Amino acid sequence: MMPFIGHAIRLVVREPRRSLAALVGVAMASALVTSVLLFGSASGATVTRRALAEVTVDAQVLLAGGANATTAKAILAADPAVRATYPFDLVHFDAAALSKAGTATQTSTGVLVGIDPGYDAATGLFAASSGVAAPGKILISRDLASNLGAVPGDQVTFTLPGGGSVDLVVSGVVATTGADLLLGPIDAAHRAAGANPPANVAVMARSDIEALVIPKIPAGATAADPSAPAASGSAVTGPVFAADPAIRREVQIQLQHAQLPGDPVEAQRWLDTVRRRLDRQGAGTFQVIDDAAASLEPLAADLAWGQILFIFLALPGIILALALSRLAADATADTTRRHAALLRARGATTGQLRLVFVGAAVVTAALGSLVGAVFGSIVGIGLFGGALATTDPAGTIARVAVVAVALTTLLASIAAYIPLRSQLREEIALGRQELQRVRGPLWQRAYLDLIALAAGGVVYVIAGGTGVHPVLNAEGNPTVTLALTSFIAPLLFWSAGTLLLLRLVTAALRRSNRLSRAMARILGPGGGLAGRSLGARATTASRAIVVLALATSFATSVLVFDATYRQQQRVDAELTLGADIKAVATAPVTAAAVDTLRGPGVTAVTPFVDRVVYVGPEAQDLLAIDAATLATVAPLSDSFFQGMTAAGAMDALRAAPDAILVSAETATDYSIVPGDHLKIRVPDANGNLVTVVFTMAGIALEFPTAPKDAFLVANQSYVAAQTGNDQISWALVKADGEVTAAASRLTGRAGGGWGISDLTMTTARLANSITSVDLSSLVGIDVTFAVLIAAVGVALFLLAGLAERRRELATLTAIGAEPRQLRATLVGEALVIGVAGILAGLLTGALVGVALLQILAGVFDPPADRPAVPIAAVGLMAGTIIAAVVVALIIADRALARLAVVAELRER
Amino acid sequence: MTAIACRRVTRRFARDGLEPLRAVDAVDLEVQAGEFVSIVGPSGSGKTTLLGLLGGLEPPDEGEIVVLGHDLARLTATERARLRQHRVGIVFQSFGLISSLRVGENVALPLTFAGIPEAERRGRAAAALEEVRLGHVVDARVDELSGGERQRVGVARALVIEPAILLADEPTGSLDDETGDLVLDLLVDAVRHRGCSLVLVTHDLRSAARGDRRWEMHDGRLSEVA
Repeated sequence: MMPFIGHAIRLVVREPRRSLAALVGVAMASALVTSVLLFGSASGATVTRRALAEVTVDAQVLLAGGANATTAKAILAADPAVRATYPFDLVHFDAAALSKAGTATQTSTGVLVGIDPGYDAATGLFAASSGVAAPGKILISRDLASNLGAVPGDQVTFTLPGGGSVDLVVSGVVATTGADLLLGPIDAAHRAAGANPPANVAVMARSDIEALVIPKIPAGATAADPSAPAASGSAVTGPVFAADPAIRREVQIQLQHAQLPGDPVEAQRWLDTVRRRLDRQGAGTFQVIDDAAASLEPLAADLAWGQILFIFLALPGIILALALSRLAADATADTTRRHAALLRARGATTGQLRLVFVGAAVVTAALGSLVGAVFGSIVGIGLFGGALATTDPAGTIARVAVVAVALTTLLASIAAYIPLRSQLREEIALGRQELQRVRGPLWQRAYLDLIALAAGGVVYVIAGGTGVHPVLNAEGNPTVTLALTSFIAPLLFWSAGTLLLLRLVTAALRRSNRLSRAMARILGPGGGLAGRSLGARATTASRAIVVLALATSFATSVLVFDATYRQQQRVDAELTLGADIKAVATAPVTAAAVDTLRGPGVTAVTPFVDRVVYVGPEAQDLLAIDAATLATVAPLSDSFFQGMTAAGAMDALRAAPDAILVSAETATDYSIVPGDHLKIRVPDANGNLVTVVFTMAGIALEFPTAPKDAFLVANQSYVAAQTGNDQISWALVKADGEVTAAASRLTGRAGGGWGISDLTMTTARLANSITSVDLSSLVGIDVTFAVLIAAVGVALFLLAGLAERRRELATLTAIGAEPRQLRATLVGEALVIGVAGILAGLLTGALVGVALLQILAGVFDPPADRPAVPIAAVGLMAGTIIAAVVVALIIADRALARLAVVAELRER
Repeated sequence: MTAIACRRVTRRFARDGLEPLRAVDAVDLEVQAGEFVSIVGPSGSGKTTLLGLLGGLEPPDEGEIVVLGHDLARLTATERARLRQHRVGIVFQSFGLISSLRVGENVALPLTFAGIPEAERRGRAAAALEEVRLGHVVDARVDELSGGERQRVGVARALVIEPAILLADEPTGSLDDETGDLVLDLLVDAVRHRGCSLVLVTHDLRSAARGDRRWEMHDGRLSEVA
């Protein structure tokens, strides 16, 4: 066996042209796999960083009864991984009640939270959304305010565990967004069961809660179970947990995120190490509850899905790159046959021949994979070096390279063996092979292409709407599940398109007379010959066309997917932020102040008010706008309104100062229709509620900056006039040109008077899990490889054609073909392959791109109703492929110019 | 009138680690219009290289070649191609037919390159095939023909342009004697009846003997046989 393996290696070394042709395709596949896997690793780091950026408190350190918060704080602060510490008290209450104007209202359980001054600024939690925090007073959550009908100035009585009570005055409304983990049960069993955080929340100074509330709760008291059935209720069917202590004292900590590894799994390990270290230091004094690790938990699974998505997007490229080895095999078929004949003449059996050639294929595949892995690593470091650097970059690259080399060596060896087998069979029994070719391959006779196309259509229709669905996990973090069915339709379309294209192109090329005549009209005698030559080599030519078409299709579908992904990211961000730029004044300002924001980089500005108002006892967001200018700044879609267009809704507000748009929920709850009057209590400049009468003008389903649930939209000037409160919440700004640049200029111009945020910052904040990944690098890699594959595919075909027809071209020269006429044969072949390949690729790509959108269904709100077609990017890509085809043509033309006519004509 | 004139023509080929090979070494040759010249010599003596130089397929390293009054060194590649399109027909040992084309299309190829209209091309190709007694295979595929028929198609393709010079490189080398004689007859007929010149390269002494003059080539050097 050894002599044959030695011969296999010599075959690789002594036939550099043959080896190089095969090696190029394998190297591209390996480079693509390496760079995509590195992209996945870098994405992991990005996803981890972004997920942790959302975690404002990394861990809750639960103090044991009698433990001193100051001592615990000192121990914790001394740890090198800890950046900041914040004491935090949480006290359960059994009920809250409010009596006013002869009416008493009461709610069920909830929590009182005690925080130190500066906590809200440091963590971004528990900020006052109306009113202000005041000594001895409380800020209440919107739910508690709605349940009690409480407004600033009201006194609420809290019934505490153990039977005591405390009266506290409301000074405003507090936002509890992002605090679910801190407010909910702290023990793992409760959390795992998906216990809901309390809705009734009151926030006060920690010194006040220590002085006014905690002394009234007896030691050992426990919180009432909010899920306990009423006396006459049905039996409890859920799990039974130990009751929470009535008082929970914590020190919350923020960690040094810069020390975190990029990979979510590694990051979890690091967090676990820190937690164990802190637990050891505080043994018996405190217990560490790791919230950051809980946030990372879904990421590992999300990222695994993300990797599948990234590989899936790049899969056609990997297959195509491997398919190039088929073209390489075509290009070097003569050499293979000559070698096989030589070895057979020396007595080699078919098995031994196979051993030599398979050995050579494996050696070439391994070499190509290694070269590709090095190239892919360089590309990966160049593109994602920054993201990789936070982890163990050398280890990551080495691991990825090993996987890529192993995978592509295996696949390329298999891909090389298939044509090799037929070449060896050809060498043995040419006649039988010809007979088989006439019959056509099995897939053609069984019409597998049409069957797969129909199946793809059926799957697309049936699986419509499934794909990536964000769902909340037990900790309230968005996580992702991916429906595998959403991958099937694009896969079927892609495979069916490939085979159908192969069938059609082969059939069209075999009708070479018509093609030849058409090309002769365009390119003269050389064009006519090209048509005939393509007809004679229909199988090889159709493979080249299909490779080019699929490379184009691959690039097109990825570009369409990416453009739609970006479009939806932007729509999502616009809806959340309200416009390109949002400017929040650092001191109270009126609507007139927005004029100071006008200037270079700004197209339009509009004032915006978001105020908590009361519709009956229910607190809602009143969005007070300038209907004349809002549409010039904010994205308004007709789908935001029920029974009216966006323009109609703005017209209705402009036509009547007291007009108001209500949410569908409010219209249903209060049974109101357009024309009905609505009394709403709106805070005046002093925070006192003033009753304002509005007239319902319509229903708004969504609105820029609005929450998903109940909200109202009215005229800012009317609200200001009725309440005497002309302060605005913020200004929305339309950027002139690039948003980040405009925001930067605006920040410079506004000085410290306005806090500026723009769409790009909002996208980053909104983003989580795989949707936070910027696909542009992946798209760049995929499209670049598609162009390279197209160029190499066409070059291989043209050069293979030249190699195969050297004698024929020499004969044509001898009988009078002019250089330009010979060149026209090359141009003609490139033209047919280029035009057919690119056009077919654009069509297939669009189809696959639309099918790929199923994967995104449900990720974005509102969902993508149509794909975004990046005309410029697709045009640039097609132009680059054309340029690559031209380069391939120039290479082939230079080879033609070097043709040694007499040597070729000499009888071999 | 002189159809071909070579003066001190030399063609060298570089070889790794060896002195360059002088495939054609200071050759002087004149061929008159209507003259049949045969060149014999063993394999590797430089016969095919010399024929290639005469046809303007390669430039010599030294010396001068004048064909029908044209100094080949002064012509561009396109002008040399046009000379072959209109005045110089070449016949190959391996026939040189294009398998993707029908027989008639193969014969008409030089006319196609010369820009002759299709109808005229067809007529002239059919006439050339009649001349070599293959009028019935005009629409046949090349791979349906025998070796002798293929070479007669090759001769018809050389004759279809009504050449002033015919260059034939071992035209009978792949054929049996009887078929070889038939092909040679066709070429000789062209010389005798059309007045064109024929340079026949062969190592078949019997064929060479039919030439008006015989030359012998050894190691690139040409000498006339008395």
